[in-house]
Amino acid sequence: MTTSALDPATISGRTAVKTHAPKKRSVGGTVGRTGVWIVLLVYGLLSIIPMIWLLIAPSKTAEQLNNEPPFSFGTFANYGEAWNHLLTFQNGVIVQWLVNSVLYTVAIVAISCITAVLAGYALAATAIPLKRTLLIITLVAMIIPPVALVLPLFIEISNAQLFDTPAAVILTSSFYPFGVFLAYIYFSTSIPKDIYEAARMDGASEFATLWRIALPLSKGLFGMLAFFSFSASWVNYFLPYVLLGSAENFTLPVGLGVLFSSTPALNPGNGAQQSVIGRPEIALAGLLLAIPILIVFLISSRLLVRGVLAGSVKS
Amino acid sequence: MIAPYLVLLIAFGIVPVIVAAITSLEPSVINPGGGPLNYLQALQDFRFLPALGNVGVFLLLYVPSMLIVVALMSLLLDTVQGRWNVPLRLAYIVPASLTGATAVLVWYFLLEPTLSPYKDVLHALGITQGGQIWRAPNLAWIFALMAFFTGAGNWIVVQYGSLQSISDDILEAARIDGANAWQIGWRIKLPLIQKYVVYMGILVFAAGLQVFVEPQLISSSVYPGLASNWSLNQLSYSFAFQSNNLGGAAALSLMLLIVCVIGAVFVIFKTDFFEGAGVKEK
Repeated sequence: MTTSALDPATISGRTAVKTHAPKKRSVGGTVGRTGVWIVLLVYGLLSIIPMIWLLIAPSKTAEQLNNEPPFSFGTFANYGEAWNHLLTFQNGVIVQWLVNSVLYTVAIVAISCITAVLAGYALAATAIPLKRTLLIITLVAMIIPPVALVLPLFIEISNAQLFDTPAAVILTSSFYPFGVFLAYIYFSTSIPKDIYEAARMDGASEFATLWRIALPLSKGLFGMLAFFSFSASWVNYFLPYVLLGSAENFTLPVGLGVLFSSTPALNPGNGAQQSVIGRPEIALAGLLLAIPILIVFLISSRLLVRGVLAGSVKS
Repeated sequence: MIAPYLVLLIAFGIVPVIVAAITSLEPSVINPGGGPLNYLQALQDFRFLPALGNVGVFLLLYVPSMLIVVALMSLLLDTVQGRWNVPLRLAYIVPASLTGATAVLVWYFLLEPTLSPYKDVLHALGITQGGQIWRAPNLAWIFALMAFFTGAGNWIVVQYGSLQSISDDILEAARIDGANAWQIGWRIKLPLIQKYVVYMGILVFAAGLQVFVEPQLISSSVYPGLASNWSLNQLSYSFAFQSNNLGGAAALSLMLLIVCVIGAVFVIFKTDFFEGAGVKEK
């Protein structure tokens, strides 16, 4: 392997996408290219159809959803109608879920990013004991899917009397080994070691070096850390589902599960037949969960590539 | 400086594993004596083998389809440069915003023949009721489909990113030697991004092994009981919250965790993915 996806310049976002040299065309090549385009476009269509459907679903009444073509648009007023119906569910608990989701996510993103930057910098630029061991543990923790630790965390959290508290979700989700690794890679590749050395020679403390030298050079890093932290915590289901017990502490994803099971919208056997929560309302609740992620993803798609491949930089 | 992270690492990375290890040896209703018998009982539970089988079939469908489709689509995407490349990449990322609970919701609608955007296709296949699709033998396919669509798009874009790292000189040399686009993709580009594909394969496998949200939500709210204890994680959840057998739950989650740790250690030490990260002995 002689190439690397991420040289330091790529991580710091300075390289643009390369353009390959123009290719010669032949008749067979043209047929092949048409085939390639068809595959690419069909896959693109398949990718956006569910989202488009979800976007317009709440514009229709439950009856219209059943009887009208899947991609016909109802009225904008129906979004408001569906929202009002959602508000009647358990005295507007959905507002609480939204507020909780926002608060928890903001706290998680803040704590996880700050601890990740500090630790990444310490691992990359300072002399600390057991550096290699810490790195390996961090890598292992980063590769293991977070779901794997949910039950052990539940046992620990109940022992610590933190069950059903916002702190249980916020603290456990703020453990962010992937962020630490990103910050570590960033500080050890994008910023020349000499700069840290020079600052230290001038008598600056480690904190002063980080604050005055490293951080001003790390705008791209913060964006990337916040992006991955946000996209993991906003949609997290299993952890809050297990660590929280009462409806007023739930997040929107967990609340969505509650909505599923308490309305006849998805299964006529469920819940009260009189419920005003129907399919448009369920779709709107799902949309509230999906839209923030969609926006963040579309705006920050570049960060996705840079972050996921950040492991394989050349030394 | 590293202290705040170290506190979180110890509290929520290491301590839970130790607590789970201790809990996994504690007495339970079905094992008053405690000890390693909890592990054996978890494996001998009548629901364990079916759950293992379900997750096994799910992984067999999910992991290879991810590897093949993602590699193929990213290679195809790489052949298209210019202004259409960006909109395509953005389109591919869209499904990733429909994950977890929303994925279950959306796929419920997509597979519901009365209102699905694909209802014509479903009707043509003779499917007129959701109950024809949501049957136990189809579950592994449905969950694999959900997981695939949630994850594939992002990985296509990521692997496309790794293809951008291949130097133009190599590709130009291949072209001068007379290689066609197919040969360049298959013989040159794919081997050069192999380590990224292997990395993805292991991450995807580890995540798939832990499948929980989709079967749990379907089973607890949409089609009651259809997929209860369908996956290994659901079984461990049932041990803890229904059978009041925390020991068994801890034992089963630890066994799943160990498989993932082995996967992680393999990536770190046996592949060259983290070559530059300073974890190998110098």
